[in-house]
Amino acid sequence: METSCHGINTDFASSSSSNRGWSSILSAATMRHAISVKITRLLFVLLCSIAPVHAADIQNISEESLRADAKKTFKEKVGPFVEQYCKRCHGGGRAKANVNLEVDLKEPGRGVAFQHWKKAVANVKVHDMPPEDAAKQPSDEERLQFIEWIGFLKYLSPKNPGSFVMRRLTPVEYGNTLRDLYGVDPSIARQLPEEVVGEGYLNSISSMQSEIFLELANKVVEQIVAPEGKPPTAVQKRLFGEAPTEGSDPGEVVRQVAGSLARDAYRRPPTEAELDVLVDVFNLAREDGLNYNASLAMMLKAVLVSPQFLFITPSTEVPLDESIVRLDDHQLASRLSYLLWAAPPDSELSSLADKGELHKPETLRDQTERLLLHPRARALFDGFGAQWLRVNDLERQVFDPDLFPHMTTAMREAMMNEVRLFFESIVRENQRIIRFVDSDYTFLNEPLAELYGLQSSYIKGPNMLRVKLENPNRGGILGMSATLAATSFPNRTSPVRRGVWVLEQILGERVPPPPPDVPELDEQEQQSIEGLTLRQRTELHASDPVCANCHRVLDPIGFGLENFDAIGRWREKNNTGAIIDSEGNLPTGETFSTPAQLKRLLAKREADLARNLTERLMAYALGRQLEGYDEVVIDQLMSRIAEEGYRVRTMITEVIASYLFTHRQVEE
Amino acid sequence: MVDRRKFLKGVGVSLALPFMDSLASASTPAKPPVRLAFMYMPHGVIMDQFWPKSQEEFLNSPPPIIQSLKPIMDQCLMMKGISGVPITPFNGAPHALELSTWLTGRLPDADSRDRINISISADQIMANYVGAQTLLPSLELATMPQTWKENQEGLHEGYYNYCSFRSPTRPVPAETDPRNVLNRLFGKQGREGTVSQTNPLDRKMLDRVLGGARDLRRTLARGDQQKLDEYLDSVRSVERRIAAIETRQQEAAFEKNGVSPAKRHATDSAPIEVKIPEGDKRSEYMKVMCDLTILAFQTDTTRVSTYIGSRPNGASYPELGFSNQHHSQTHYGTDQDKISKVAAINKFNVDQYAYMVKKMHALKEGNGTLLDNCIMMWGSGLEDGHNHRRENLPFIIAGKGGGSINTGRFLPDVKGNQGDLLTTLLTCVGIPLDRPIGIATKQITEMKA
Repeated sequence: METSCHGINTDFASSSSSNRGWSSILSAATMRHAISVKITRLLFVLLCSIAPVHAADIQNISEESLRADAKKTFKEKVGPFVEQYCKRCHGGGRAKANVNLEVDLKEPGRGVAFQHWKKAVANVKVHDMPPEDAAKQPSDEERLQFIEWIGFLKYLSPKNPGSFVMRRLTPVEYGNTLRDLYGVDPSIARQLPEEVVGEGYLNSISSMQSEIFLELANKVVEQIVAPEGKPPTAVQKRLFGEAPTEGSDPGEVVRQVAGSLARDAYRRPPTEAELDVLVDVFNLAREDGLNYNASLAMMLKAVLVSPQFLFITPSTEVPLDESIVRLDDHQLASRLSYLLWAAPPDSELSSLADKGELHKPETLRDQTERLLLHPRARALFDGFGAQWLRVNDLERQVFDPDLFPHMTTAMREAMMNEVRLFFESIVRENQRIIRFVDSDYTFLNEPLAELYGLQSSYIKGPNMLRVKLENPNRGGILGMSATLAATSFPNRTSPVRRGVWVLEQILGERVPPPPPDVPELDEQEQQSIEGLTLRQRTELHASDPVCANCHRVLDPIGFGLENFDAIGRWREKNNTGAIIDSEGNLPTGETFSTPAQLKRLLAKREADLARNLTERLMAYALGRQLEGYDEVVIDQLMSRIAEEGYRVRTMITEVIASYLFTHRQVEE
Repeated sequence: MVDRRKFLKGVGVSLALPFMDSLASASTPAKPPVRLAFMYMPHGVIMDQFWPKSQEEFLNSPPPIIQSLKPIMDQCLMMKGISGVPITPFNGAPHALELSTWLTGRLPDADSRDRINISISADQIMANYVGAQTLLPSLELATMPQTWKENQEGLHEGYYNYCSFRSPTRPVPAETDPRNVLNRLFGKQGREGTVSQTNPLDRKMLDRVLGGARDLRRTLARGDQQKLDEYLDSVRSVERRIAAIETRQQEAAFEKNGVSPAKRHATDSAPIEVKIPEGDKRSEYMKVMCDLTILAFQTDTTRVSTYIGSRPNGASYPELGFSNQHHSQTHYGTDQDKISKVAAINKFNVDQYAYMVKKMHALKEGNGTLLDNCIMMWGSGLEDGHNHRRENLPFIIAGKGGGSINTGRFLPDVKGNQGDLLTTLLTCVGIPLDRPIGIATKQITEMKA
């Protein structure tokens, strides 16, 4: 199909690590019907994953009994399946593609085996396995069962919070940290190299860029330490204190300065060895002829290029006899603070950590509330929210200037502010998660209101105002320019991308990647098909059976949003003049013809939306993908979040108070 | 001899002279080192406008896309029949893989596709061997920051970004700001145009910081130790750079007293002048990156460089009179308009490459030209963008590689793969390989002199 879904950036396998499949979007009725008729290969993929075990179902079942059940399933059901269909190549002495499922059956939940099972499911789903020339093929029914059994895999993973993922501060965090500690303008971090941010950060620097932290440290020191002969700056006084009096031994004072610099910068009390290093640097500088202040400045520079400052690290101590430990309070303070504020712990968090109180569940929840209600919590939108909604590239996204002259820097900023203020208001007011989708207010300034066709005497000027909406098609992330534009091409909408966006970003489904080497839908409005709507052209294209199976699921969702153009304006006709046919349907078969109706349909899926958002936030908070035991923890969180009525702040607090966030595995 | 320092002052640049050579030792200049550069364009080419039909056509009437190389075809080598890395089981990820397999010659690890896990790349293998002899082990450049976010086949989005990998899990990001390159390689230019001094005391300070990190390292899991090591390695390279500057200062003192660095020939061309363009024209931007590569080679600041002239899926070329993104035009089918646009984009990229190699051919070094001592390869990781074929990867080699490569030829039917090609290139540079690169099974002996 079109490049929108293939070569180009649909971002199919989104960052969510969820392995839940398509089942939840397909009703049992559809399923029976589909299976009763001849199932085409791709449609089968869409149908055959199992329903996730619902949080409520497991509420009263202990982890132990689930584990026992899962073990039994593997022994009695998966075993024979492997014996019958897989063993010839993946058993006995043979391990084609390095996969020996017979070995994996012995400890099905362990690392490598876990990966093999996931792979097996993927292959069995799409009929890649057993291979076509195999002696025996499982029935469709058996395939479904196999996939369902493997779904129990999560219960086999031992209780484990995973290791603490050490990472370097992101440019934003780095800038904020310098601001909070030294009053430096955070824009200083702008020259840090571009990086690819995923779950966890891939912070790589080339040898040419390696000096950047030294350069930045030099700049910081230049800004806060006055040159010789000039009076010290305020920050300098705070950091360095009074110089020891003439003739006295400065050793003690220097060590104290080192101690307080390192406490702030390393976000925990420094070790004696760390202090030795810093004092050593001071002494080097003195020997080199620098005066007292300049030598302290050199010491500060050493702090700023130390990995203890630049990295969020686990503890300085290795517990000897435990494999799983609680995060110590200082680590917890950093993890919490960087998650919600993208900044180092403030004095309140730091002092709670010093007192060893932060980990207490009540305290941790209170602090989470406090941080979330502070304006700095916008960092959660900038870091997480924008990524979740895929609007983080809006600033740089390309739009055809002839078709969309409105996409000025100021307009893009207003669009971004709309999403951000909306996100923040939902968090601040602890609204239901579904309000992200179904809401009756938004934030607009005059130009944006004009773009939306809203005339109002009171929305004037460039400032964003909270606006109550009468039009049910607006309100919520489905009716905002920023999100609608994020899925568009430079010159037109992409129903396919919008469909994928709704499924993945809102409902947390995983859309399988398209087959390779398929022709694209013409990017240009072409003479030969002028007058055809995008729908007709897309349908033409999706009549190719290779494409059709997926696109009959994806496209109808996007078609339902076709009344919004590529930058989110309302329209009745497309740019070739054809009337827009906005009938759409969800994979469940439910139909809709306005965004308002789609909103209402999605509102019925609050549990799915909540789970999707919870999983995404958890992965973001841990800086890694979710797997194995994580899924069990998420199941438990979901039941508590449901009890509390799917409130957003409850969800965030549950993630933070969770076993996964507060614990770590010591060795792999 | 031309006073390089003085010359470069005009552009705010102080010169990076080779520093590892013993300074006042030999009086005969050494043979210039062989240098290797790679320049990339994604999405393949319009094949019938790229490949010559014969040796005669190659030399005298080259096809449109490579037209601009005509004056120096005798310095070039084209070989048809080098295949790319087959991408099964990642059939849905042609663009995520075209760049990342280009210098690695192999596929990512299928079991950990959500992380970067591929293989050390050819340029970094070379950097491991010769990098210690120059200021920078290797140079990595790109035209624009990568903003493409896509996980084809569940592959980490970083596979769109990188062609250089220091190790299977550590990609090397490319620098996109020519000012940074100029400042870091050829002297630091302060805001007011003053050249700030690097403080030798920093070197001792960094040494202490490195020592202190050892305790931290012990408390980390193995994966985290690697992340820390990467940072510590980078600190070490800063240390080395500072040491280099100290050496250079000594060298300057020697020169002042009439002892000149042994390595250069009196006839060598002066280092070229590099001007950072004001506007945002892609051609000017690319030319300055090419100039920086030339200057880095000329001054022996590094011996291996990669330049991602354009990355998969994002770039557009408004200078060519249309605003379409490159990729959007590459599924052209029989659409003549798209075919002509893709051909124009192909030609545009080759033109910038031609600018670079022609300039190198005009610069003297040793008994020949700078180009004589270099291997400059331009190419793409796909044969064509429409069908994503990779049987005949388009690429051009310019330069004799210090006499190791037989140029001025078009070889219409060479059998080999990308791994074979990379392996051969490294042996031409003189790198002793302990194993072939990626999927290589042999060397392409036909290309050698």
